[in-house]
Amino acid sequence: MKTNTYLLILLIIFSVCNSVHAQTQKLVFSPHWLPQAQFAGYYVAEEMGFYKEAGIEVEIIHPSASVNAMHFLQSGQADIISLFLVTGLDNRFKGVDLVNIAQFSHNSALMFVAKKTSNINTLKDFKGKKVGIWRSGFEEIPKALIHEHQLEVNWVPILSTVNLFLLGGIDVMTVMWYNEYNQIYLSGLNEDELSTFFLSDYGYNIPEDGMYVLQNTLNEKNDALKAFVEASIKGWQYAAKNRDFTLDVVIERMRQANIPSNKAHQKWMLEKVLELQEPIGQTNLEKPDFDQVHAILKGQYPQSPDIIFEDFFRPIR
Amino acid sequence: MKRNTLSFRIISNILLITSTLFVLIFSVYYFYARNTISEASKVNAIQLAENIEARIEQELQPLEKVPQMLSATIEMGFFHEDSLIHVLQTIVRNNPSIYGACMAFEPHFFEQKGLYFMPYAYRGADGIFSAYLGSETYEYYYMDWYQIPAMLRTPYWSEPYYDEGGGNILMATYAVPVYSNRDNKRVFAGIATIDISLDKLTDLVSSVSIFETGYAFMITRNGVAVTHPDKSMIMNKSIFSNAEEWGAPLLRQIGRELQRGESKFRSYNLPGKEKRWIYYTNLISTRWSIAVVYPEREMYASLTKMNRLVILLFIAGLLLLVLLITKIVNRLASPLVKFAEAARLIAKGNFETPLPEVKTKDEMLELRQAFVQMQEQLTLYIENLKKTTSEKEKIESELRIASDIQLSMIPHSFPPFPDLPQVDLYASLKSAKEVGGDLYDFFLIDSDKFCFAIGDVSGKGVPASLFMAVTRTLLRSIADRHKTPDAIMKVLNKSLALNNDSCMFVTFFLGILNLKNGELFYSNAGHNPPLYIARNGETNFMEMGTSIPLGLNEEYDYSCMSAQMMPGDKIFAYTDGVSEAENATHEFYGEKRLQACIAKNYEANTREIIDLMTHEIDQYVDGYMQSDDITMLTLVYNGQKGKN
Repeated sequence: MKTNTYLLILLIIFSVCNSVHAQTQKLVFSPHWLPQAQFAGYYVAEEMGFYKEAGIEVEIIHPSASVNAMHFLQSGQADIISLFLVTGLDNRFKGVDLVNIAQFSHNSALMFVAKKTSNINTLKDFKGKKVGIWRSGFEEIPKALIHEHQLEVNWVPILSTVNLFLLGGIDVMTVMWYNEYNQIYLSGLNEDELSTFFLSDYGYNIPEDGMYVLQNTLNEKNDALKAFVEASIKGWQYAAKNRDFTLDVVIERMRQANIPSNKAHQKWMLEKVLELQEPIGQTNLEKPDFDQVHAILKGQYPQSPDIIFEDFFRPIR
Repeated sequence: MKRNTLSFRIISNILLITSTLFVLIFSVYYFYARNTISEASKVNAIQLAENIEARIEQELQPLEKVPQMLSATIEMGFFHEDSLIHVLQTIVRNNPSIYGACMAFEPHFFEQKGLYFMPYAYRGADGIFSAYLGSETYEYYYMDWYQIPAMLRTPYWSEPYYDEGGGNILMATYAVPVYSNRDNKRVFAGIATIDISLDKLTDLVSSVSIFETGYAFMITRNGVAVTHPDKSMIMNKSIFSNAEEWGAPLLRQIGRELQRGESKFRSYNLPGKEKRWIYYTNLISTRWSIAVVYPEREMYASLTKMNRLVILLFIAGLLLLVLLITKIVNRLASPLVKFAEAARLIAKGNFETPLPEVKTKDEMLELRQAFVQMQEQLTLYIENLKKTTSEKEKIESELRIASDIQLSMIPHSFPPFPDLPQVDLYASLKSAKEVGGDLYDFFLIDSDKFCFAIGDVSGKGVPASLFMAVTRTLLRSIADRHKTPDAIMKVLNKSLALNNDSCMFVTFFLGILNLKNGELFYSNAGHNPPLYIARNGETNFMEMGTSIPLGLNEEYDYSCMSAQMMPGDKIFAYTDGVSEAENATHEFYGEKRLQACIAKNYEANTREIIDLMTHEIDQYVDGYMQSDDITMLTLVYNGQKGKN
């Protein structure tokens, strides 16, 4: 009788564990930067329990100054990360076996900004000027645009802040519309004091945030990844409809991560990021966009074979 | 207090005037106090801000000298690059305010040192530590603290940041470009920095308080809060992000002014918040800004408190004033009530009513004296009045008796001689006063001669009535002896004129009718001529000639006139009370109206004529008080046939 009881208990425990294992698969997701409204949809999906509803357990981790999201992916600390398209493809050129499973952003937020006082009104005025550009990630696209226009500019690599631009150390700054552009505004420069050059207006409307996994992971956790993407879309849709709530969630995440935060900036960011994703729920990467980025990057990797679109973009939905 | 009392009126007037004065004075005081406080607060705020500014500069400026000196000594070639780490350690050790110091060189500045060369010394938990920094993950020359002064070639105070150790210490870095001589050329070598904790500075700013909740805050060049009473603001929010969140463009404007290095004292209103005053100024070294803010309400809080006190005091004072005035007025006016009570009693006839005692020598005393005098006068007057009234009553009763006597002298039973059908007569006398001066009389002298008379004594009242009585008495006695009217008149005149010191007189008409043949002899002494009413209705005033009244001239001879009366003829005799009856407009009734009235009613009998006339005159005067006696007499001669 006693032996039977133990057996029964063991059986129950085993079956419960098994079913949990079968039903809720764990995924670790890392966005490609620190907590901010750029990733609001994922926080909302987690906060609202959309991931749990989809039968997955998602842990969101964030990169730091010393460790980036690519590192998380390669080291296996993260199953899925978000990256700019250009960064994703760049890493593919570098030999990382990653694939894009969903393209969330459909537009470019990249832009140049200059103070009107420096008399820069057209792209041609960039000639001979000091142009700030981030060291990490996606400098290829702005550089491609400037190169296309055959302008000699003095590129100044920047780590992260807009202070050098504010203090007049550089004439032009490469910024994200949803982020640094507003940081400049929130540092006291008025919009009418700035000249802006959206890369999308010059034929470089290259989509940005997309979801990347290693080929292996795609094979192993296909269902979970699909559930993650679906639930994330749901998160973004909910965020679009409940912006105040979303902002509170974002600010709280930033506070927990000890990152300076203010509502004014995050509100701006949320609005712009949502605009860039329009239509929300469409996660296809368009081939022409891929081709354009491929062409831009190809120059840096003349020895590498071409990357096939269908190998790179493996839509999960 | 009753609304119609003297005290109420006095107090309400005083209250009104006092309150108006108070409002006036209070307004002026309030206006000036407000201005003074506003001015004093402004000075206070400016002083506070400038005091902090000075103290912060006092802290920072000596620290700025450290990397500047380091830069200068490096440029002069004092130190070998390998000794720098010791120099930096010494710097940190000797400057408690400095948490870390570094000398970061340009990439590949020393060939043997490679890409990165950045000796760094820092204050740790248990001493001074040092390290060489710079790696693929820490490319220091892209950091703001390096890149900005390197590109701008000027010293640079970084934006504040939390220390890497996670100690939650707010730090800032001061970075100075360093040059070196190479091949006799001055080349840019790198950046020398010190890291300092801002705790001391933020404590300094946070310690400032002005009024109840007024405070000071410090913001960076980018407008980010370094200190703020609301801790969630620090390093999170900027003056510009708050301007966005609160929808307050004014805040953004202030932020931009701060960035331009402007100092200003001004007020501002944020949406949904109370009005505040702010003074802001710039730190020369860091170009951070310091501001002192306080709500306007609090600036005036002391004034509001004072106002409350003043108003309370005023109300209390007013109440006290009301109480005192009520007491004073009541004390002063209380005799008035007693006087009023006394006056009521006096009015009821109690002249001995005791008067309230007045101890003051003022108007109240005068009033009392007036009352005393009034009481005395009233007593006296009433006594006199009583006396005169009783005398008057006596006289009046005597006069009534006199009147009765007078009237009893005159025959007043009609028809007078029922046995004498030849003649009929009716007469009436209505005195204007108790006793009158009119008279009429008739009597038989002998069996055939019928004497009748009417008269009017000058003046009225008792003297006239006495004179009338005398006249009547004399007439009767004289008529016994003399048988013609002129003779009777002459004697009567003589008798009346004799010893007539008071110069009284009487108009008089006397007729003697022969009952047998209707022959009428008559004589007149200044009396109104009677109307002769012929039986055919012809009515005429009788012929009289001129004559004077009786009693004026004792020698006067009165003429005798005659007329033949036919049976049915009438004579209507009257005194001037009839013809001179006055209505309200002082118009006399007049002889014409008299004649017309009689003519119209010539067929009426003796009594009817007089009744008609009486009625006619009553109607004419319409209640207007008559001053003269009204006497009428009608006589009709019926002839001998009446005898049968």
